[in-house]
Amino acid sequence: MKYPALLLLILLASCTRKNMEELGPEAHLTTPFEIEPPHYFPVLDIPANNPLTEEGIELGRRLYYDPILSTNGPLAGRSCSSCHDQVTSFSVPTEGTAVLPHVNLAWSQNFLWTGKVNGGLEDVMRFEVNEFFQVDVSVLQAHAVYPGLFERAFGDATITNEAVAKALAQWFRRLVSTDSKFDRYLQHTEMLTDQELSGMMIYLSETGDCFHCHGIPLLTDNAFHNIGLDASFTGADQGRFLITGNPTDLGAFKAPTLRNIALTAPYMHDGRFATLEEVVEHYNSGVNPSPSLDPIMTKPGQITQLLLGPQQKADLVAFLETFTDDAFITDPELGSPF
Amino acid sequence: MIAMHKYVLTAAALAFLITSCKKDDPATPDPAPVPAVSNTTLLIEHHIDDVPLTYDTLRYTNAMGHMFSVTRLEYYLSEITLLGTNGTQDLVLPGPYYINGTAGNRFDLGTLPAGEYAGATALLGLTAAMNQTDSLPNTTENINMAWPVPMGGGYHFMKFEGHFLDNGTSNGYAMHIGRNENLPVCTMPEPFTVASGGEVVLRFNLNQVFREPNVYDLSTGNYSMGSMMLMGQLRDNCANAFDIGYRP
Repeated sequence: MKYPALLLLILLASCTRKNMEELGPEAHLTTPFEIEPPHYFPVLDIPANNPLTEEGIELGRRLYYDPILSTNGPLAGRSCSSCHDQVTSFSVPTEGTAVLPHVNLAWSQNFLWTGKVNGGLEDVMRFEVNEFFQVDVSVLQAHAVYPGLFERAFGDATITNEAVAKALAQWFRRLVSTDSKFDRYLQHTEMLTDQELSGMMIYLSETGDCFHCHGIPLLTDNAFHNIGLDASFTGADQGRFLITGNPTDLGAFKAPTLRNIALTAPYMHDGRFATLEEVVEHYNSGVNPSPSLDPIMTKPGQITQLLLGPQQKADLVAFLETFTDDAFITDPELGSPF
Repeated sequence: MIAMHKYVLTAAALAFLITSCKKDDPATPDPAPVPAVSNTTLLIEHHIDDVPLTYDTLRYTNAMGHMFSVTRLEYYLSEITLLGTNGTQDLVLPGPYYINGTAGNRFDLGTLPAGEYAGATALLGLTAAMNQTDSLPNTTENINMAWPVPMGGGYHFMKFEGHFLDNGTSNGYAMHIGRNENLPVCTMPEPFTVASGGEVVLRFNLNQVFREPNVYDLSTGNYSMGSMMLMGQLRDNCANAFDIGYRP
């Protein structure tokens, strides 16, 4: 064999060409993007028809921050980022219905407070595109930049609702928070203070019983719970019942993740609590019994109180604050591209 | 050295004789191949006594006389062992199986040896080797079943929750079992025959969890997780809460 390197090159070239032919005429080059969460996170379920690529994520990011998404729709002039600010973990303080943060939704199967949308990120993004924003794709199509960005991401400059949803889904999959102080504690790279450790013991035991609905590492069980905010329910406070019609779901709402919880006040679906101290006090002494109260809220002896002392409550709040991920809220790659 | 050679020769001769006898002895023929049945599945069903479970309805009555409902049921089954008899061997099914009462809970078993079985045993939960923090794959189901490290680590064997009426007032109950010493070992003495493609059906009678040997009182034991005594009672009651059959 006189020219093995040359032969190898020819073989490689023919293979590449063959693969490109197999992909068809619409084949285009994209750059795969890998998300590598810590080992204690669940494996990410990424649909085969919407793999993560740098081009797709960048397109989704731009759409997220661009009010063009709402042009000619009921929310004209607003972008996703209007209500989801990075510095508050992609949430924003509001009056009325509280804004759920956009963090680690890649592991979610139920979306919005009542679970109005189930499935994966592509499913909830279809809802956002078609029903919430009512995106007018003709506006995007006429834009000077977007057709080219869609072509780079998906190999087709023709913009469809489905392509917009896919790009947004990729961007939401990118919004991963795994670098809180508590994560570093789990990875043995940082210690918690004595007070935080005390709070962790309360959180992870029957004393506080937080872990059943806010287990590690997602800090949500993705399920719905009536945590006793009210004794009777009308209007939006009926929660999950509005979706299922099941009386057991009265007053039940999705357990939100506690990642960056110190940044996402006010709390509960209606923002009734301004501070984490108020939240802890609710669980400690303010739970209202009702026939649909989540069974897990009834403690031994059929009481609905935790009976924590002032120091224990302070310790628990200190532990909750270790869920703050400063890198996530300051990462320039997650900020506005404009 | 001569003595050593003698021993070696004797052993070799003995080995030859034993081997020859085995080959030629018509009294010990090679066992006939066990016929196999393909396309079998494992199906888990949930009942309240003889009635299929319906979620979220306060309509069942337990041995203590409390009306109760079921709102959540999650657990693991592992080491499911079909007990061989009349020619079949004991067969341990793969596992562990995560069971959510709201799901279909049908698992492919592929091919099973045909024949009669004397019943089965199973663990409602996990073996000690599996019941360690992070030993199971990090699926969302498994991480939601985690038993916190400060409480001993590992996983919940079972979460069984709902509401019950106590003197006319609706209250919640949460029957959670965990920790190795509380692992229910379930026996299913019902004989069955695997004859053609079909389903091995395990039926969990949830009312048995409250019945015997301990008549379980939800009014004083509505929340089991922090109590080794209550979890021990549930462990003992769960031991007879399953039965088994084969549905062609």
